[in-house]
Amino acid sequence: CYFSSCSSWLPQRLPLRGSHWQSSLLEFRTSLPVRAQPKKKKKVDVKKEQAQKERMKKKLKKLEKAAPELIPIEDFITPLKYSESNRVRSLPPLSPEESERRVLLLKKWCLFKQKQDEAEKKAIKTLVECQQEALKELRLESEELYQAAIRRDEGLFPFQREGPTHTPPLPGYDPPEGKCTDITKVYTQ
Amino acid sequence: DALLGCHRSYRSRPTHGIGKFKYLLPKEVPKKRKEKVQMKEISAGTEYQYGDINIQMTSYDLCLVEHFAQYVHRLCNRLSIQVTESYAMPTKTNEVLYLEERGSKMQLDAVLTTHQRVVQIRGLSSTFAPILLEVIQSSQPEGVHLLMKQHTEADFKSRLKSRPELEELLAEMS
Repeated sequence: CYFSSCSSWLPQRLPLRGSHWQSSLLEFRTSLPVRAQPKKKKKVDVKKEQAQKERMKKKLKKLEKAAPELIPIEDFITPLKYSESNRVRSLPPLSPEESERRVLLLKKWCLFKQKQDEAEKKAIKTLVECQQEALKELRLESEELYQAAIRRDEGLFPFQREGPTHTPPLPGYDPPEGKCTDITKVYTQ
Repeated sequence: DALLGCHRSYRSRPTHGIGKFKYLLPKEVPKKRKEKVQMKEISAGTEYQYGDINIQMTSYDLCLVEHFAQYVHRLCNRLSIQVTESYAMPTKTNEVLYLEERGSKMQLDAVLTTHQRVVQIRGLSSTFAPILLEVIQSSQPEGVHLLMKQHTEADFKSRLKSRPELEELLAEMS
């Protein structure tokens, strides 16, 4: 603003120099030769760049040599607080009736599980048998359809299914507002 | 020098193998070298067989998902389906915040951990696939999310640690 005030009372004879770098009074954008370093020699530049590139390549080689590591799974690492304490649980001695009851219960559970397993095996067996029979009949019907049926189904995968819920969703339930933030620990090598 | 240079063993003589002693020492177990984590080849499968398939089970409950994964693994063993790998994916932790009824501050509700187990199978025949799917679905426990998809390299890479330095250098180089 000093310059602007300066310009107001100066007689408008000389073209004003906007800055002290502006040397020629004729043109606008010429300036004194800037007293910077003389132009860097090209050889030194190229060498420096090459050296830098080589250093980077060496670094890259070193990093690539190291094998990638798997992310450690927190499920399998017992937290220290459970292994440090020495407290021991002291259980009361079992009465013979109680132990007998437990043994009989265990036997019943074993039998139940065996029946369940056998039923599953039987179900799989019947499914496979029915499928084979159906395919046999289809083959007798038409060879083309049989071949098409034998092929793998591209639309089968990916396959997703949510587990069954204990109760159906509540009608007209208004969940409170909130947000979910991911705080998983990020491991870097 | 003459003693070391002598190669004659005199097998007929009772002094054969007189200098041997290594058979008396306890067997040395070869040093376990750190095996490099390399990706196994992903098979694409033929027209009548699927290639590598990942059965991924996700849930908030650790024991449930672990037991279900064991069950699926044993089922595949019993049905003579080749199981190439059975591993666990890293756990994800989520912080659930909810807005109080009268207030502007977010209140901490719970910290949930999501666990995922993967059973990888190979060579599933096209006729048997729907049967296997039915069986697994019928025994799917509550709250366990089942996902079956083909195995890709990206799936394998998601198990590995990220290397930001290497990526930075690669970005700079190119």
